Amino acid sequence: MSHIDTGDVHAGDTDAAPPPRPVPSHGWWTGRSGLVIPLILAAFSTYLVIGNLTMHQPAKVDFPGPTFYPWLLAVAGYVIAAMLAVQYVRRPEPVEETGSGTYRTYCDWAAVAWCVGGFLAFALTLEILGWIPAAALLFWCVSRGIGSKRPLFDLSLALVVSSVVYLAFAVGLGLNLPSGIIGGGF
Amino acid sequence: MDQLGLLAQGFAGALTPMNMLWVVVGCVLGTAVGVLPGLGSSMAVALLLPMTFALDPTAAFIMFSGVYFGGLFGDSTMAILMNTPGQGSAIASTFEGHKMAKMGRAPQALATAAIGAFTGGMIASIVVVFLAPKLADLSANFGPAEFFALALFAFVATSSIVADSVLKGLMSLILGLGVAVVGIDSFTGSERFTMGVPQMFDGISIVTVTVAVLALGEVFHVAARIRRDPEAHEITVSGRPFLTREEFQEAAPAWLRGTAIGLPFGVITVGGSEVPTFMAFDLERRLDRRRPDPQFGSGAIRGLAGPEAAGNATTGTAMGALLALGLPVSATAAIMLAAFQQYGLQPGPLLFDRAPELVWSLLASFFLAMVVLLVLNLPFAPLWAKLLLIPKPYLYAGIMLFCGLGVYATSGSTFDLFMLLGIALIGFAMRRHDVPLAPLMIGMVLGPLAETSMRDALLKSDGDYSVFVQGWIPQVIYIVLLIVLAFVVRSKVRSRTSLDT
Repeated sequence: MSHIDTGDVHAGDTDAAPPPRPVPSHGWWTGRSGLVIPLILAAFSTYLVIGNLTMHQPAKVDFPGPTFYPWLLAVAGYVIAAMLAVQYVRRPEPVEETGSGTYRTYCDWAAVAWCVGGFLAFALTLEILGWIPAAALLFWCVSRGIGSKRPLFDLSLALVVSSVVYLAFAVGLGLNLPSGIIGGGF
Repeated sequence: MDQLGLLAQGFAGALTPMNMLWVVVGCVLGTAVGVLPGLGSSMAVALLLPMTFALDPTAAFIMFSGVYFGGLFGDSTMAILMNTPGQGSAIASTFEGHKMAKMGRAPQALATAAIGAFTGGMIASIVVVFLAPKLADLSANFGPAEFFALALFAFVATSSIVADSVLKGLMSLILGLGVAVVGIDSFTGSERFTMGVPQMFDGISIVTVTVAVLALGEVFHVAARIRRDPEAHEITVSGRPFLTREEFQEAAPAWLRGTAIGLPFGVITVGGSEVPTFMAFDLERRLDRRRPDPQFGSGAIRGLAGPEAAGNATTGTAMGALLALGLPVSATAAIMLAAFQQYGLQPGPLLFDRAPELVWSLLASFFLAMVVLLVLNLPFAPLWAKLLLIPKPYLYAGIMLFCGLGVYATSGSTFDLFMLLGIALIGFAMRRHDVPLAPLMIGMVLGPLAETSMRDALLKSDGDYSVFVQGWIPQVIYIVLLIVLAFVVRSKVRSRTSLDT
């Protein structure tokens, strides 16, 4: 996970530059990263189209069948995606850096990666390890991503929080949370 | 006054000591869950839904109304304190409410919200008591074409009013509508867009999508900036929980105006309370600009009071619409509908004839829940404000943990956790690029209604499209829709030209 800390490499290496400043240029892509939005919409429309084409329908379906309405959505999706893409190309939406450092990207991808990765690990391990360790892992990763500097204290706090939640919701309210390896041992 | 007699009976049914206990328990639990960062009122209802099955229907719904209104207050609390609205209807409260909190007036902001919610909710409940039976009669005239027109109106109204950019609003709407078509088609039984995954046969849960875009996406959004720009996320807490006489006088007209805006929106069911909250906010802002000392932008109490009252007024009358029309207009109402169906009750015109004692006890419990909430929350406002003292890393870690808990608890499978993460990443991208999230939620909730009524109408007319504009109700709705559109276009053009000069 060596790439995790690259976001902070440039932190604090400028002193007198007056904020706010634009994020360093990415050439043509400056202010056009929003193109991901029409991309998401176009991808989703494609999913609808593929789903429509491969759908198993009953042999005889009256006119507005199960694919009718999704077709409308897919077409509208493509049209709006195209218009949004044109809008981003013609009028980019650059962001200004409001923080005190200069960074390569506007988003702190290392921090986002900790949060996303923590949740992914939680989802993967929940039913194997059980609620308490998996949730503690999630808590620890996210607090680290948001900027906590005390990993050991965080670990104990994470275990306390996940245990308390387990007691309150699984034991108290009767929610079905997996007990995992720890519960299995008893 | 027939209704007053029935309502009195409702109070008699609701005012047993046990039921009072359930209202209080519901209010406390609802507020507590709603206040938990990342869990909104619909989560509160969803999480506590299984608990209420142990009760008899009347007690369960009485507790529900407590949970629901408590959860709504929790939504606003978090919107004000953390800028993380648990529900779309609390978004408008973030603008001025969060600014008030940032300036150290968090307890006053919470008190403003509590009183606004009380005003709006109370007046709405009174309106529902007198109008719901009439609404039930009117709704007997509603066919597929009418419902389709209503849904269309809701879509256009939200995506154009809420969004700065209509295109972005529409993008969000289409995503929401598309997510809602996943699952087994109710007409033909065809599997749609499930990729053969059994967990998707029932469609993608509203709870999953709500948590993903509103809570998880927000955490990612905060994470992306907080280490670089911590000042923007700083908040101080101080001050008294009670409003001064001046503040009260300042907020009072806004509460009433907000209520007036919110009331009709619940009755005509145009897609949740986002629209009226934003309209109330916009009205207050316009009025503010005419004053000698404009307050907006620096934590204007009216900018919070208006939307809060509007939101709860809409919620109150929307519950009336749910009871009378069987039409869920928000994620929470959709969950409530599911709860009714668990008890073998179908909300709609017939409910008033079939289970009158339940309906009237529920309506009576709305009043009780409002009073209990006000009594509980005014003194507790400073206590909730203390939540801000939790260090940010642990606060957001806690949000993520509760998101995982809520979604796993309602679905019981890790599949939904992966789905949650995927949708949250899309929600994060949308937030980063200023795409509004409210249209997505509304598309998701009202999408199935739009589709079934559209197909119903076309099936009945053998594919003749003129069926959509034949009745007078759809015609009126479409005319109003055109007026709204013209209004939006006019203000967009005007703001564009005023920018250029």
